[in-house]
Formats: sequence, structure tokens, C-alpha cells
Amino acid sequence: MKKKKNDLQKKLVFTLFFLASFLCIEAQTSESKKDWVKDLKIGVRMQKAQKLYWENGLAIDFTSPKIANNRIHLGFSYVTTRLGSAMGTNAIKQDNFLFNLGYYFRHQKKLQPFIRANTGYFYADYESDIFDDLSNTAVLLSIDTGVSYEFNTPITINLSAGYNLNTGTGVSGPGTLYPLFYQLSVFYTLFKKS
Amino acid sequence: MKAKNILFKLFVIFVLLLTGCSDEPTIDNSTMLDGDQIFDASIYNPENYLVSVAIDNPTTIQKNTPVIIATHGYSATTFEWDEFRNYSDMNANILISQVLLGGHGRTYEEFKNSTWKDWQTPIMNEYNALRDKGYTNINFAGSSTACALMLDLIKTNKIGDNGLKHIFLIDPIVIPSDKSLTLIGLIGPMLGYFESTNTTTEDSYYYRFKPQETLKELLNLTNKVRKDLQNGFNLPQNTQMKVYKSTNDDVADAVSAVLLYKGLKNNDGSKINIQMIDSKLHVVTRLDGRDNITQEDIDIQKQVFDDMLMIIAQ
Repeated sequence: MKKKKNDLQKKLVFTLFFLASFLCIEAQTSESKKDWVKDLKIGVRMQKAQKLYWENGLAIDFTSPKIANNRIHLGFSYVTTRLGSAMGTNAIKQDNFLFNLGYYFRHQKKLQPFIRANTGYFYADYESDIFDDLSNTAVLLSIDTGVSYEFNTPITINLSAGYNLNTGTGVSGPGTLYPLFYQLSVFYTLFKKS
Repeated sequence: MKAKNILFKLFVIFVLLLTGCSDEPTIDNSTMLDGDQIFDASIYNPENYLVSVAIDNPTTIQKNTPVIIATHGYSATTFEWDEFRNYSDMNANILISQVLLGGHGRTYEEFKNSTWKDWQTPIMNEYNALRDKGYTNINFAGSSTACALMLDLIKTNKIGDNGLKHIFLIDPIVIPSDKSLTLIGLIGPMLGYFESTNTTTEDSYYYRFKPQETLKELLNLTNKVRKDLQNGFNLPQNTQMKVYKSTNDDVADAVSAVLLYKGLKNNDGSKINIQMIDSKLHVVTRLDGRDNITQEDIDIQKQVFDDMLMIIAQ
């Protein structure tokens, strides 16, 4: 139980850290915003692991003219089975807190292929003391690649496929952390510097 | 070391994607089960393995004696339950049917052409044969994939109320430890087969070469069972279950037990009985043929056997 409590604390600290960093960006004066922010988007993300769960949640995406001339996207996402496969079922409740850094090609066009590196924290809730000895947390490390399409309206869609490098092995790592995943994200542009 | 392994695996996958190789394995017929000389012993002498064949006209006493249908896992043979049979012969008054899964215990080609439904058929055949002969105390013990096959039989109501008294699951597989199995549809056709690291003894009782077609079948089965558990179902009336699950199992991920605990309930809605075992073995009840067995492994095997026999006797 103590282990699970520590896990929860870690999870909360991790979430707060990322949320705080984005709130800081948002809280800057409009002048500094103009300097730093090109695009700030918020949206929903749907993720499917190959042969496993749907995990859905929120995502934030940010670009800056001061970082690789808008080619680099920074982002944060939270996807969970609580909003996917585990809704009303016996699927394991698991959370993915992910920070990503993506390189976007053709960054001034509507259709932009991209490649991303992702890292973060994974937590699975096994809901019983019987399973206290099983690994239920992991550092996430993955890469994904796909395309982004920006509509004339303030909507952007990202489609990608990715690979988790740090999956469960039966001997270490959470068993429901699978290698191959697919993502669909729909963003609304909160701020855009023309 | 881990990063190196990952990079190496990715490199191997990349090279195989490029070369697209899918050669047939080189089988030593004289030493490997995969060949055309070594077959499972139950094929030659079914009367030594199946109670339904061994006893033509059971007496009333025999009909009321507990019978355990003991079934092995993917790529294994009846050998997997030999130790339990030997232990039971010395310590209990029960009958044991050691069932050979369909497609197993024969040649590599026959194994390659089998589906998970073929694997399941002999379990039902023996169960029905025992019921027809009037046995009243039928039980099931399965290891690894046999557990998934049994879970499907329960879910699809092929085994219903009062059919089985006790079900024992040893290291059930719902989630595979090797997650590359989830990519078998992609990499399987290029690889053709996967080679196991059997000991010399194991080569006679376990397939060394696992055809990608059968791994796809295994994935289809476990994925179906996982989805069934996700939706939830109950055991039949008057059937009790005990699950024994190794915590560091490199074949059936220990999280399989979590899925069972959440998704499968006793008939009255209560939770099923699960015992997590601190072991690195897959199928903790089979020690013969393994290298480097410890006293702890022997103790665990005995504890599980005693527990099963005690439950049967109650």
C-alpha cells in the first residue's frame, strides 16, 4: 500500500510539474508571448496500443520562433484508459504522462510530416494488495512519426504511429506497457502569431 | 545493457525486413519433438494417459473418484504434467487424464497447420467422454495456454453449471511477457519461425521451433480471452477456481493474474482465489528437464501440488 501511495505522489508531482510549466508560458505578458510563442494549441488525443487498450486524454502543443524557427514542437499529453478501455469495463486503469519534442518538416505548409521523441511516466493501478510486488510504474521512452494537417479553421489534426522502447518484459516493467501504438490528436489553436 | 538489447532487436528486425527470409527450420529428427520420429507417448498408448480410454466400464466408486483433466501449454506435451501424476499416485486417491492438445506432440508441419480451436478440441473430448461414462467429480488443471483455452470454454458456456468442481490454473497466459508477440502479424511472415532455448531433455517434449502461424493463433486466443475478461464473466455454478501465478515469469506476464482477478468472478460474484508465487519459472509445477533447479523451486512445486490435492480432497 505504501508503495502505491508513493507512486501516486510521484504521479501528482509529475503532473503538477508539467502543468505548471505550461501555465507559466500562458501567464507571460502578451509582449513576451509575441516574442516566444508562434502557436499554442490544446486538444484531445486518442491512443490505441496494438492488441491492447484505448487510452484517451488531453494534449498541448507549442512552437516558438526562438526554437529552431518553429520547426520544433514541444508538447505535453495525458492519456489514460480511465477515459478509454477502462470506462465501465475491467481493463486496467493506467495513466501516461508524456512530454514530447517533435521535429516538423514543411513547417510553413498545411501538411507537415513529423518525427517525435517522447518521455514521461507510466502508472498502472492493480487495485489489490495481492499484486503489490508487481511492477506498475515505468519511465516512458518512445518515438513516433506521422503527419499533421492544419485546416483553415483553427483546427489541426495529427496522426502518428509510435514505438515504446521500454515495455514490460514479464520480469521487469508493467505488463500492460505495449510496444506499438497509434495516435490521433485534434488540436484547437489557442494562440497563433501570424 | 537494456538499451543495447533494444537496439540489437531493432537491428535484427530491420535486417530481416530487408532480407525477407523465412527459411524452414533445420530439424534433428532423432532428438527433437519437431521431427518425424519422436511423438508424444499418449498418441501410442492413450490408455496410459486418458481415464476415459483406460477404464471401459467404471464402477460406482471410480465414478465418484475425483478425476483431474491435466492439460499442458503451447508447444508442450503431456510431459508437463508427468510430475503431478507421479506425485498424486503416491499421495492421493485420484484419477488423472493427461490430455494432449490438438496439433501438439506430432511433427512441426502438423503443429504449424493447427489452430487454437484444434488445440482446444481434445479437452472437450475428454470432458464429454468422462461425463458420458458417469464421472461425477471432474476437475481441471491447466498450465499456461491450457488456462486460456479453459477460460474460453467457460466463457462460451461449453462447460456449464456443475460441469467441473475445481479448476486449477498454473501460470495462465493472458498477457505475453515478450511483447514482440503483439507484432507477430508484421514480423512473423518474414521470420517464419522462432527458436526456443530448450535443454536437451526439453527438446524431446517441447517444440524447439515455433511456427509464426501458431504464434498468431496464440495471440488470437490470448487477445480474445483478454477482451472477454475486460467485459467480465462468472464461473459456472458449483465450480471453484484457484490460480497460481509466478511473479517473474518470462513467458506469461504476471499482470495476467490482475486481469483474471478483475475480470473473472465466482458464480456468486465473489473474487476468485489467486496466489502469487515468488518464482522466476514459467509453469512452476514442471521442474523435470530444466537446468539449475533450486531447492526453493522444489518447495514451491510441492506446496502447489499439496494445495491442489488438499482442495480436491475437501
